[in-house]
Amino acid sequence: MDIYREEILDHARHPRNQGKVASPTFEFHAANPLCGDTLDLQIKMGGKPARVSEVAFQANACTVSVAAASMLTEKIKGMTTEELARVSEKDVISWFGGSLTTSRTECALLPLKALRDALGG
Amino acid sequence: MSKSNSLDLKKIRADFPILHRKVHGKPLVYFDNAATTQKPRSVINAISDYYERYNANVHRGIHLLAEEATAAYEGSRGKLAKFIGARNPAEIIFTRGTTEAINLVAYSWGEKFLKEGDTILLTLMEHHSNLVPWQFLAQRKKLNLEFVPVTAAGYLEDPEGAIRRLRPKLVSFVHVSNVLGTVNPVKNLAKVAHEAGATVLVDGAQAVAHLPVDVASLGCDFYAFSSHKMMGPTGTGGLWGRAEILERMPPFLGGGEMIKEVSLRESSFKDAPYKFEAGTPSIAPVIGLGAAVDYLSSVGMENIRHYEEEFLEYAFEKLAAVPGLTIYGPQNSEDRGGVIAFNVAGIHPHDLATVLDQEGVAVRSGNHCAMPLHTHLKINASARASFAFYNTTSEIDVLVEAIGKAKKILKV
Repeated sequence: MDIYREEILDHARHPRNQGKVASPTFEFHAANPLCGDTLDLQIKMGGKPARVSEVAFQANACTVSVAAASMLTEKIKGMTTEELARVSEKDVISWFGGSLTTSRTECALLPLKALRDALGG
Repeated sequence: MSKSNSLDLKKIRADFPILHRKVHGKPLVYFDNAATTQKPRSVINAISDYYERYNANVHRGIHLLAEEATAAYEGSRGKLAKFIGARNPAEIIFTRGTTEAINLVAYSWGEKFLKEGDTILLTLMEHHSNLVPWQFLAQRKKLNLEFVPVTAAGYLEDPEGAIRRLRPKLVSFVHVSNVLGTVNPVKNLAKVAHEAGATVLVDGAQAVAHLPVDVASLGCDFYAFSSHKMMGPTGTGGLWGRAEILERMPPFLGGGEMIKEVSLRESSFKDAPYKFEAGTPSIAPVIGLGAAVDYLSSVGMENIRHYEEEFLEYAFEKLAAVPGLTIYGPQNSEDRGGVIAFNVAGIHPHDLATVLDQEGVAVRSGNHCAMPLHTHLKINASARASFAFYNTTSEIDVLVEAIGKAKKILKV
């Protein structure tokens, strides 16, 4: 199954950027009401122009949510807030190779939802 | 197993067209019956027959179609009354389902008979539909909400003690838990609650298609249920209420159908059940529900319960043998309705449900509208296989095999 291919499972079982950021610039707690899964995302901006210098998440969630968070946090390192705002749902869905059903798309988008809410939009 | 001692499974399965469908190229194994059950041909036909032959509004027309529609609609009320042991069809109110039935009691009975400082006793194993309406009411009227705890084994913990100690005005609880499967001792609790002066509401959503229900012998005051969980269509369900209580309750929604006389500034209302059925009701679903009751009666609720107990024993034995699998709730089939919620160590229930779906097995994953119970169990979510009398034990074998496959794919 494409949704559980090696790369996804690797991200889910050995998530990158798991943990906490000291004095984050943005942080947000997201929850998936369908299953009660939760995800906390923290971002620290630094430099000029400000870019993501540190990012971390903690999740109590399924393979799809955790893998998506792991991949998202890898991707957004070094981005400006304008670039962060441009990360789209389509980008995230594409990481799963078009194998997500409607309900599992919610799982994949949980980290992006946290990112958008953290940015205040 | 295609035939048990009591049920002709082959014939029954032939009555449900959807059971012959393939999912992802595999035969459908439908284990999501607690969410909604499938419908027999007779129910589907009853709905199309109404639309094709006698579609008309009820209780309004003089013409033949209206007469026929009204007779069929009221016929369903009579069938339901008989099915759950009500003395009088007027004690059956059609609603959109269990949720609306409980809201009706909260808004009508609760608004009139409860006052500031009164206590409502619920339990920790309630579906959100038997929690949220009481939260609304408690906020409006400054009531206390109290909860009977649940033991580690999945039973209510000393509910009699809680009733005697807290002296609630209302005790409202689930007949069969939609997560733990626990069959609660309604008769005994209703007796203790009445001795303490409380009114008793029972959420029967997960019971009516699985156990013989007789409201007279259960001794409760209200019994709520949903059509679509008892082989009927979505969009309807009902509330049974004791006639003398319904009489004293004010109407719920206002509008057509429920009035006697209307002037510009005030109106008088019909008697129960009509004062609770404002507007054009869900006529086709109610007629379909009548056909569902006929179907369940023809199979026989005693037979269904007997078959499901045997089936659950088999399911327990097979699932308990899966390494890393935890079953929540009572560990024997006698105290259980057709629900088994479980988790497999190392696999999130959503991931499990996704792999099972690929194998044609439909289960639910999530918190099953029972977040407080999941919090109590210290889990976010669970997988739930829920059964009906058309399920076969060989489908359990398919489920067990598919769980093995999930472990392989997810490398557990």
